[in-house]
Amino acid sequence: MTAPVALGQPEPIPRPGGTAPPAGARAPKHRRGDYAGFASRFIAFTFDCVLSIAAFELVLVAASYAATVLTGSSIHWNKGDQWVILAFLVWEFLYYAHFWTTSGRTPGMIILGVQVVGRDGTRVGTRRGLVRTLAFPLSFLLLGLGFLGILFRPDRRALHDVIAGTALVYAWDARDAHLRSFAREGSGRQ
Amino acid sequence: MRIRSANRALVEQVDSMAQGVAQRVIDPFVESLDLNAIIARVDLNQALDRVDINKLLARVDINRILGRVDVEALVKNTDLGALFASSSKTLVTEAVDLGRDHAVSMDDTLARWVSRLRRHHSEPAPPESANAYEEP
Repeated sequence: MTAPVALGQPEPIPRPGGTAPPAGARAPKHRRGDYAGFASRFIAFTFDCVLSIAAFELVLVAASYAATVLTGSSIHWNKGDQWVILAFLVWEFLYYAHFWTTSGRTPGMIILGVQVVGRDGTRVGTRRGLVRTLAFPLSFLLLGLGFLGILFRPDRRALHDVIAGTALVYAWDARDAHLRSFAREGSGRQ
Repeated sequence: MRIRSANRALVEQVDSMAQGVAQRVIDPFVESLDLNAIIARVDLNQALDRVDINKLLARVDINRILGRVDVEALVKNTDLGALFASSSKTLVTEAVDLGRDHAVSMDDTLARWVSRLRRHHSEPAPPESANAYEEP
């Protein structure tokens, strides 16, 4: 049995399973290394959007406060300002690039238990992480068509995954989670 | 007056005699009892069924009891911090497991829909001769 996945702990890279899990297959299959599906990826991305935007807002507030303390005049950030938009895009790039090049897992991915790995199951690495970050907006710019691969490809890879040579896999053990759940139910009954 | 004081003296004498007898008789009697054997013969469940817990609790002054508890010593002796940390960690793990499980269920549902859709589109149309064969 594999070790249970804990939040924030380093863990071995799960190897991609080669094909998507058969439709209807459910735990207690352990899932680790299976290609992650659309819902998990979308929810993880939503978490990341909320987190990164909240962090960006905090940075703006901190910068404004620092300016007030240092110069005595406060800065009012206009969200439509091109510099703020540019700063936001740079921030988002840094956010995703940092997590994808280091651990292959953004905070949202950690919560949902998914991880970016190389197509061959190796660690994603700096080059592939950066290419994935740069190619990621392409999937949006093509009216979202870049994401159709997650639904229709057997390896569930989006356009940016194909370009970067990466894949997204489940990095958590569903079977361990079920065992933990049974243990909790058992102790709750006693 | 004399009769009264004589009565009182008599009562005191009888009282002290009774106490002496009680001490000499009851104590050895109690010591000779096999309490374990008696308890073994008592149906505790039946006895407990007859106890009105609510009435009992109503007579207990919880605040007074709690007031006598040395909370600081209790905290020192029990690692409450670790207990709280462990329970909150369990809660977080449970929530995360549940969320991931739901997400995987949705992944599977979507995969099922897509596979049905693809099968539906890739299925060849039945040959015309088949319909012709079934119809009389």
